[in-house]
Amino acid sequence: MIKSQRRRATSIVRYIVLSLWAVIAFFPIYWMVSTSFKPDTQWFTWPPVYFPDPPTLDNYLNVWFGAEQYAATQYSISSQKPLISLGNSAIIASTSTLLAVLFGSVIAYGVSRYKILSEVRMFQLLMLRMIPPIVIVAPLSLFYSALGLLDSMVGLILIYFLTSLPYAVWMTKSFIDEVPREIEQAAEILGASRWRTVFEIVLPLIRSGLVATFLFILILTWSEYLLALILTKTQVTTLPIELSKYQGSTEGRVYGRQAALAVGITVPLMIVGLIIRKHLARGFSFGMVRR
Amino acid sequence: MSVAVVAAADDVQPRLSMREVSRRRAIKRFKWSILSPLIALMGFVLLPVLFLQLYFSLHQWTVYLGSWWDADWVGLDLFKEVLTDPRFGWAAVRSLMFATGSTIGCFLMGFALAYLMYKPFRGQALYYIIFILPMLTVPVVVAYTAEMMLYQSGPINDAITRIIGIEFKPAWLTNPHIALPTVMLLEIWNWTPFSFIIMLAGLSSIPKEPIEAAEILGASKWRIFWEVQIPLLRPVIFLALILRFLEAMAEFPKTWALLQGGPGTATETLPVYIFITTWQYFQISKGAAMSYIVMVMMVVIVLIAIRILRQEKQTLDTVYGNKAAGNSGSGS
Repeated sequence: MIKSQRRRATSIVRYIVLSLWAVIAFFPIYWMVSTSFKPDTQWFTWPPVYFPDPPTLDNYLNVWFGAEQYAATQYSISSQKPLISLGNSAIIASTSTLLAVLFGSVIAYGVSRYKILSEVRMFQLLMLRMIPPIVIVAPLSLFYSALGLLDSMVGLILIYFLTSLPYAVWMTKSFIDEVPREIEQAAEILGASRWRTVFEIVLPLIRSGLVATFLFILILTWSEYLLALILTKTQVTTLPIELSKYQGSTEGRVYGRQAALAVGITVPLMIVGLIIRKHLARGFSFGMVRR
Repeated sequence: MSVAVVAAADDVQPRLSMREVSRRRAIKRFKWSILSPLIALMGFVLLPVLFLQLYFSLHQWTVYLGSWWDADWVGLDLFKEVLTDPRFGWAAVRSLMFATGSTIGCFLMGFALAYLMYKPFRGQALYYIIFILPMLTVPVVVAYTAEMMLYQSGPINDAITRIIGIEFKPAWLTNPHIALPTVMLLEIWNWTPFSFIIMLAGLSSIPKEPIEAAEILGASKWRIFWEVQIPLLRPVIFLALILRFLEAMAEFPKTWALLQGGPGTATETLPVYIFITTWQYFQISKGAAMSYIVMVMMVVIVLIAIRILRQEKQTLDTVYGNKAAGNSGSGS
């Protein structure tokens, strides 16, 4: 009796604590979304407006499509091109991630089956990611300007590829480790070359893992800020940089516009994250969690 | 008899090893063809960059001076300048405070949530989805959303005032004493999901037998937590702390986009100070010297971290067998 009462009490406490954090976690996201639907008089008033009244699409139309009828208003930033940035972001993030997963999975195969990198080297590979990018970005930008890669997609793709490679190797390795070796041995006996074994047997077997790795790394490359800020200027801008242009703009606080752009940046990321929510732990666990 | 066997073995061995040798050679070629793109990339991108950085930290150059290859050799003067610069010292202190504080905050929050959630209950999946959302918000977006919410008569202060019933109006972003803690809170909000996910995976992966055994022996929940679960979770705990600390040391988008190091220098962490020195004062050489110092510092920290992680992984390998290392093939 007492035990079941106590169990019910702990269950209630659990729900209260979890719900409290759920509110804290969700409120800023709600605020961003609701601000994006507010007319400009409600962006920063006292008392704050919690529900847009009436909700309006002006912010979205202005920010994303630079609609003519809004271009003349005080808060218009129609000179910027978020749709082009969206395209840039999509191309840069997906290409660099694709390269990272491709090369990463082949390296991971080599590590898993042929030990081409010792465990120490595998951890040292993480340094590519763990050293703050700020310490190399200045010489990198000079190097890029010498090569003509500054303000180009190729430059960003190259550096994103390098910095996301460690995660790609680690994560795909955890999937390849689970593939039984007998299949490859059978393929070898049947005379398949090693490269064919990799591309036609092993990688197709872990394709859901590859998709998970791809999406996981996409989250990181999509939201990268510092490298994009310094290595691009006008020709190529990614969405996070486009958003930061609204800061300190002559129009002052343009929260609604910022929010409309922010929602557009965040929604794809959330969709991706929710698709792979079960695999997130694997991306971060570096072999420390055993199932 | 034995002579015959040896002779026969001698006879067989060369032919076998011939095939073996060509097989090994093929494997070696295969290994190198996998590794060579990686090595080439590092050689063509990282090496020149590191060389350039070293060059700039030993030569005085800014964008106003002529060609950078004619810059004056100044030896270690720049390093001396940086190391005696109190602003650099304070930036380092702030970075360490920021990283330590937010790491501990993320870890405690994430662990607490994971502990409440690792056993199945009604609504678990929904809570999980809500809890990982902050991590899926782009850091720059976090910064701007924070700005929309934290101004003095903004929704956060309003909501707290309504809930506690007392006027609550801290200037989150403009008061130099609380600006850094504010960014820390943002970092904690943003990355608690990370610790949460790792700790949840860790908690649900530890074997049930030792806990059940302890329960049968009459151990309290408290003792089971400290004496069974925590020791079993050690590797995961180290991982959660180390990765978060390293990422927090490199944190730039939130501090920069939100406050540009201000008010004054209240939120000027190492990445921000390097950025300001290089891209606002255009002291490229000083920035390079600072970068070098920070890089060496971070390499040392990362090497220590790698040592700890490897030790923990080896312990795991001996406890669980070397299954995940791919030796036996069939993973769990």
